[in-house]
Amino acid sequence: MSEQKQSKTPWVEKYRPKTLKEMALPSAKLNRQKVDLAEELKEFVKNFFKKLFNKEFVKGVLLQGQPGIGKTSIVYALANDLNMEVIETNASDTRTKGAIEARLKETSKSKGIMDFITEKKKKLILIDEVDGIYGTKDRGAIPAIMDLIKTTQFPIIMCANEYKSSLSPIYNIIPKYEVHPLSKNKIINIVENIIEKENITNISKEETDLIIEKNGGDLRGVINDLQAISRVSVKKGEDNKDMIYSLHRDTTEEIFGLLRDLFQKVSSLNEARRLTDKSDVDYNFLYKWVNENIPSFIYSKKELATAYERLSMADVIFGRIRKNMEWSLLPYFFDLFAGGVALAARSGGSKGYRPIHFPRYSSSYYMSLNNAEKGLIEKIQEHYPISQNEAFRDLIPFLKHLTSTSRRKLKEISEFLELASVEKKLLK
Amino acid sequence: MSNETPVWRFKYLPKKLDDISGRSEIITRLKEMIKKRNFPHLLFVGSEGIGKTLIAQLFSKEFLGRFYDANFKIVFADEPLSSEERDQARSEAYVSTSKIGSMAGKRITTPAFIQVRVKPFVQLRAIGDVPYKILVVKNFEALGSDQQGFRRLMEIYGSNCRMILITTKISGIIDPIVSRCQLFLIPQIKYEDFSTLIEDIANKESLQLENGVIEYLYKISEGKIAKAIDLLQICSVTGNTIDLNKLYKILKKYENQEIKDLLIKSLKGDFSEIRDCFREILSNYKYSVQDLFIQFTEILNKLPLSKYAKIKLINMIADADFRAIDGRDDDIQISYLLARLNSFAQNM
Repeated sequence: MSEQKQSKTPWVEKYRPKTLKEMALPSAKLNRQKVDLAEELKEFVKNFFKKLFNKEFVKGVLLQGQPGIGKTSIVYALANDLNMEVIETNASDTRTKGAIEARLKETSKSKGIMDFITEKKKKLILIDEVDGIYGTKDRGAIPAIMDLIKTTQFPIIMCANEYKSSLSPIYNIIPKYEVHPLSKNKIINIVENIIEKENITNISKEETDLIIEKNGGDLRGVINDLQAISRVSVKKGEDNKDMIYSLHRDTTEEIFGLLRDLFQKVSSLNEARRLTDKSDVDYNFLYKWVNENIPSFIYSKKELATAYERLSMADVIFGRIRKNMEWSLLPYFFDLFAGGVALAARSGGSKGYRPIHFPRYSSSYYMSLNNAEKGLIEKIQEHYPISQNEAFRDLIPFLKHLTSTSRRKLKEISEFLELASVEKKLLK
Repeated sequence: MSNETPVWRFKYLPKKLDDISGRSEIITRLKEMIKKRNFPHLLFVGSEGIGKTLIAQLFSKEFLGRFYDANFKIVFADEPLSSEERDQARSEAYVSTSKIGSMAGKRITTPAFIQVRVKPFVQLRAIGDVPYKILVVKNFEALGSDQQGFRRLMEIYGSNCRMILITTKISGIIDPIVSRCQLFLIPQIKYEDFSTLIEDIANKESLQLENGVIEYLYKISEGKIAKAIDLLQICSVTGNTIDLNKLYKILKKYENQEIKDLLIKSLKGDFSEIRDCFREILSNYKYSVQDLFIQFTEILNKLPLSKYAKIKLINMIADADFRAIDGRDDDIQISYLLARLNSFAQNM
């Protein structure tokens, strides 16, 4: 009986943190500076009621980050800590101008004189999934929200997954916090806690790692998967791996299996073809995965060179396909990057478990800058007309050289350019 | 003292056109344009680091006067768009079906670079009492086929915004663009001007330069005045007298060794390490594949290898470079080259 009851509440709700203290806080950035999100939000809400009549004060904030990392949770935990009531609207509600006004505007204004006296529960407005406001269905929603931000009597917190240019009027007036996924260690701690409390015995350490890896920072996904697997009774001797792979949320795990098969099982071109044909992984990505993982499976220098020769040819062919729409070349592309690469390992390839790596590097990766680098370049450009590339190849190595001569020089330069500490680190 | 500029190349950056040394001919032509309050689109050609951008910027500053900030923009054609800019271009590329007009529901095919960086600036009217706005496009040749998009822009918005295009390779620029611009060839600074400039800095910083130092600086800096000033400053850290010995030593330390190390490592090391190494270099220095390959070739020429080995290696680099032009993923092409070098060295 109790087991049935237990499985009815989703664990995601069951283990949603009640207070900020028990929550694993994601890290966040505001204007490229690292900030303590919980503290910032607390400050914001507290200040809100103090500065309500101050026209300069901005009455809303936006949290932006990938799904499942705790944006909504942090708002609920915060409200709980401060003894407030959350009024929520999310993508499941219709959010036309009228609907938003009906639902939120009245609440947002309904702070009567009695409320001041009785100290009734204050309200916190949460507009979740703002980036889900869309097209004609939700017409007028953005002006309505803008209006709301100006007139509200209660603090507004908005959450979004990604940048949307239609939201730019909102970005312009309110601070945007970029929320980052939880670190793996934090997720492991939470997962271990749940496993202990739920008495889960049929999941091994390796499998939890797999679940975590496959969800890539999405804690909600991890917990959901965990619940799904814990319900399955597994015969002795079998493991849950296939089960984990079969819980599709994205194609990552499929790629993992595919790459292992490709490098370790395939022994003829036909087998490789069959493998790529039946998979629905986007080949745009797949060949980058192959590139990233060649060194995990092939060791001999000669075979490596052969494998890369084929992969590079596949890349050239792919480039021509995309440039001139020569789709007739596509079969060569598949044969070269899959079969061609895998069969380069003539000694039979590696046996046993090999770690699979995510393709983190692509051509655009090298050229693009992280936030600290961007900040540094902008500050240099205020004083000196120089392009990004020149700065990185020419000026920054020189500045590094100069700062290495004395600490005082480093201090002088960073004061002159007014550098923040992360930017200063780049010159060390 | 505290507000003194700690970096000499910032400190001795010319503030006016007149401060620029050794360019009197070009400066007179530009000043004539400022006087007439009129100039055509300009194209500046000259080798790297000799001050083309500086001239363009100071010229614009004097042409626009106090309206400089509002009417001047500099864009770098070789800087890739940031993810936000790309998002912006993508979202603007589609005209919603709910809009009225013949474009409704269609895609706009303006190149993203022009859409995001150039159009918003050139479309706005010039602000204040100036005949035009000025747009400077650096490294124009890097635009490649997007240059076509500039042809019409230069004509349509020419009366509102004049452009100064800057490039190191005139061969990389398509003819229709060249024909729309007045060409300025900017040569390397002459030795006499260079030595006056360096002596002047040495005086101000109370440095003692021994015989031959200036000549050597002129030779190694290849016209890049900023590089010469950088070297002077580094030398000055250990004392005010600078002789050739010191300069050699500093230069040896200062030269970029990492690519050389990478090349040597790729001839004997383990492939995974080599790959990590090149990825780090590329993301630290933001080299493009072509830059990296050119440097490889230069370094290779200096290595003590037999001419047969050298030509084979150069052939490999050329092959990879050739593939990188058509390929889509630079990481693959660089890995390809390094894996081949690695395997070649094993059999050597």
